[in-house]
Amino acid sequence: MPHTDSTHHDDQIGHIVPVKFLVLICALLLFLTAVTVWVSRYDFTEINIAEMGIITALFVATVKATIVGLYFMHLRWDRPFIGFIFVGSILFVVLFICIALTDSLAYQPTIIKGDTPKVTEAMDLLKH
Amino acid sequence: MTTTSTTTPQVFDNYLNHTKGIRSWLFTLDHKRIGVMYLICVLSAFLLAGIFAMMIRFQLLTPEGTFMTQDQYNQAFTVHGAIMVFLVIIPAVPAALGNFVLPIMLGAKDVAFPKLNLFSWWLWVFGLIFFLIALGVGGIDTGWTFYTPYSIDKASSMGGVIPALIGTFILGFSSIFTGMNFIVTIHRLRPKGMTWFRMPLFLWATYATAIIQVLATPVIGITLLLLVIERTVGIGIFDPAMGGDPVLYQHFFWFYSHPAVYIMILPAMGVVSELIAVHSHRHIFGYKFIAYSSIAIAMFGFLVWGHHMFTSGQSPLMNVIFSIITFSVSIPSAVKIFNWLATLYKGSISLNTPMIYGLSFIFIFSIGGLTGLHLATLATDVHLHDSYFVVAHFHYVMMGSALIGFLGGIHHWWPKMIGKMYNENWGRISAILVFIGFNVAFFSQFMMGSKGMPRRYATYTEMPEFQIYHIWSTAGSTILALGFVICAVYLLHSVFKGKRAPANPWGGRSLEWQCSSPPPWDNFAEQPEVGDCYDFSVLEWNETEQGYDWRKDVAHPGE
Amino acid sequence: MFSILTSLLATTSQGAPANFWLPKQASTVAESVDLTFFVITWICYFFFFAITGSMVLFMIKYRRKGHEVVADGPTHNTPLEIAWTVLPLLLVVVIFVVGMRGYLNLQEAPEGSYEVQVTGQKWSWTFDHPKYGATQVAELTVPVHTPVRLLMTSNDVLHSVWIPDFRVKMDLVPGRYTSLWFEATAVGNYNLNCAEYCGKDHSKMFATVRVVPKDEFEPIMIKLASEYEDMSVGELPAYAINRLYNRCQSCHSLDGTTGTGPSFKGLWTRVKSGDVVFTTGERLSDLYGENTTYEVPENYIRTSIVNPQEHIVQGYLGSMPSFQGQLKDKQITAMIEMFKHLDELTDDEGNITVNPDGAPRQ
Repeated sequence: MPHTDSTHHDDQIGHIVPVKFLVLICALLLFLTAVTVWVSRYDFTEINIAEMGIITALFVATVKATIVGLYFMHLRWDRPFIGFIFVGSILFVVLFICIALTDSLAYQPTIIKGDTPKVTEAMDLLKH
Repeated sequence: MTTTSTTTPQVFDNYLNHTKGIRSWLFTLDHKRIGVMYLICVLSAFLLAGIFAMMIRFQLLTPEGTFMTQDQYNQAFTVHGAIMVFLVIIPAVPAALGNFVLPIMLGAKDVAFPKLNLFSWWLWVFGLIFFLIALGVGGIDTGWTFYTPYSIDKASSMGGVIPALIGTFILGFSSIFTGMNFIVTIHRLRPKGMTWFRMPLFLWATYATAIIQVLATPVIGITLLLLVIERTVGIGIFDPAMGGDPVLYQHFFWFYSHPAVYIMILPAMGVVSELIAVHSHRHIFGYKFIAYSSIAIAMFGFLVWGHHMFTSGQSPLMNVIFSIITFSVSIPSAVKIFNWLATLYKGSISLNTPMIYGLSFIFIFSIGGLTGLHLATLATDVHLHDSYFVVAHFHYVMMGSALIGFLGGIHHWWPKMIGKMYNENWGRISAILVFIGFNVAFFSQFMMGSKGMPRRYATYTEMPEFQIYHIWSTAGSTILALGFVICAVYLLHSVFKGKRAPANPWGGRSLEWQCSSPPPWDNFAEQPEVGDCYDFSVLEWNETEQGYDWRKDVAHPGE
Repeated sequence: MFSILTSLLATTSQGAPANFWLPKQASTVAESVDLTFFVITWICYFFFFAITGSMVLFMIKYRRKGHEVVADGPTHNTPLEIAWTVLPLLLVVVIFVVGMRGYLNLQEAPEGSYEVQVTGQKWSWTFDHPKYGATQVAELTVPVHTPVRLLMTSNDVLHSVWIPDFRVKMDLVPGRYTSLWFEATAVGNYNLNCAEYCGKDHSKMFATVRVVPKDEFEPIMIKLASEYEDMSVGELPAYAINRLYNRCQSCHSLDGTTGTGPSFKGLWTRVKSGDVVFTTGERLSDLYGENTTYEVPENYIRTSIVNPQEHIVQGYLGSMPSFQGQLKDKQITAMIEMFKHLDELTDDEGNITVNPDGAPRQ
């Protein structure tokens, strides 16, 4: 097999993350998931910010993604270049979402409001 | 022609006979064996999808179309498309040829992650199994694009949709892992002397493809997963009755599927670069521009997916943006064509089978690419979208170009892979039949498309004036099928009865031509050093071997 | 600039008949679309012949002459490579601009366009004329030389309106409105195809666009609007089979052939006697009588039209969409009368034998 690098940094292949640590991270992520589920059920109108649910959920999701990236994907201990590659791929996600959202915003006026029979059905079920 | 008998096998130890038994193949870690298994699998899937294609063509011989029912026809074109795209063309050059050739071209013993490589192959097999399950459990008739809301409507679309989506999801991973493997291999396992700009162009093409595979395929994975969830649980992301947006699905789908078509064509273009250079014994013209154009196509390919949605209700602003960017993708492809033509100039062109495929590629891809201009232009695309013009365009680029590049690569590397030469005369006949059959089959489709024939029509009773075009198209398909059958026959024949192949039958300079045909189990004892892989002046013809050798008066690089 | 190009490419003059590539021009935008098409096509011809010509020339001139020849030619030529990158780039910009002009033309419907509301569903087209209160199925009548705007939506899956001779196309998306506009330039009949795959009978989802002279248009619309309102019960069957049956046609035959749905032939006899079994195992006859689901057979037919999922006949998949809101009460009555008198309206092969006004058809 090919050349091995003779220089030795602590971000080389060889750094093993302890299993206990990974389990801890997993537990943290599960906790944050529970937070998200709780937030989706809590009625925020008391604080007068109805969007609080979405804001919290998105914030928690960002935190979780960062934890996954840093620890599960080993970016915390890798060379910065690897982190750049990861962030670079996020750019593609941003590109896609921006364009898809711009497009759907542009055709919002043509949507037939209230034409969602299945939603009404589901809401009825939830109420009873 | 020499009369020294090369048919009596002097069997030396090579990767084909190094170990025996089916298990040593199915669980091999050897990239060459994995490549051969992929080849067999991909060609079998091609046969299956090809049968559906012939069924479609027979149905369309008459306006009333009595060969199949509407439902059967809808299934036929769906399955034809899905198998061809996901099981054949996307893996074809990278997995079947790339796996075999890439490490040897680098003088390496294997890819960076051999077990992952085997896993990729097994994932392909599981993907196929799920497709077969889908056919058995109700079938699929949504079109290979699985557009919503039709694909989430359980009352109208058939029951095989979910297994097919799962199968495609699995195939996506096969593609991603292959891509990852190739990126790391090319970064890390290059030999001494092979800087980035000393790599054979096939490797540049494979590298660009691998980037797309890794970056784009996860998107289709998520999309298909969302579709499965929508269809089973009804979360309401694409279903308008739940407040969802059916056009959003199209954005998701094409964000992958457009780069996917570049996954299909870039490796084939890489093959063509090799074919043109080697078989005209001439240094490739404009190496850097060709290398950069592969990367440019890969990058720009991510920005143009909306051109599949010009009439879908996408906003006019987006349409204009996508149209402009789409034109930009045509330029790198045009540059490649011009470079190949310039390579032919003052070359020493040998019109053998691989070269005929390479030249067919140039002819057919020119037409395919140029008709892309009609489709990139907004005013004309409104008229041409969802007509046979589009069908003709994508068959010209996917089949006439990507598949022909694949066939050219198979013929070019066949002596290396199998160690035998196929019958050159039958090879040429088959290549010419494929060329003629293809053009007859699909050129008529351009004409009927622009004249008003819509696609995915099982019958066309209201438009009988198109029958003549359909008849031409079916006639061409039959010639095409004949060409493929002949090709299969002589290739299979060569496996058992072909003349023994020398190490370098065509006079190639890249590293794979410096090991035996077939290569030994571990490719090279040590990684050789390389010079300019398009400098053919170091080779000379060896009459006894019927192949090319390194000239005795020229030193190998590094000596 | 446009007129210079037009005169050079004489094939694109207004109202041009069908040629090698394109169908006849029958709308105002067709001319600029075709011009764009031919600009691109001629550029393609040029490049195609240049590329293929060079290829064939080189194939012959530089044919390999023996095993020993090694070719010696240029490996790069930067000015040339830049030239053949930049020149095509400029060319495609030209194509883009030409195409964009034609496209923007297609987007903005002129002020005061005549509006038609289009509803697509598996597998028929319904055209409503709100100005006159008239409805047409599988046929769209419009006046010539008048901008017409189609405001469209779908009831179920994606469809697409494509009128090749007008060079217009736009998808129909459920839950949303999309639109297209055209101005027809010649009286005649034109094909309207569904251009987005929508399931089984996608290939059969046709309509005809009938372009009529301006002064004939309004009388036709007024007649259509009130066609059935003043009809007596006896006149309804002929009206129904000509005007309403179109939207049932793709699934229900008239000659006894089973399709996606049962044939209408002999339907009334079966329904009247209750000789129908549902997927639940119930018989229709059990549902007849006072204080049960259907007092009279007519009620069953009415329910099957507005709520077809209520009872699905055994042996069928239940894919019939609801026509609630699309058919007025009197139109449903017309359908029922049609079933009752079907034998008088069709022949053995299922061909319709009467005109909408009741007169026998030639």
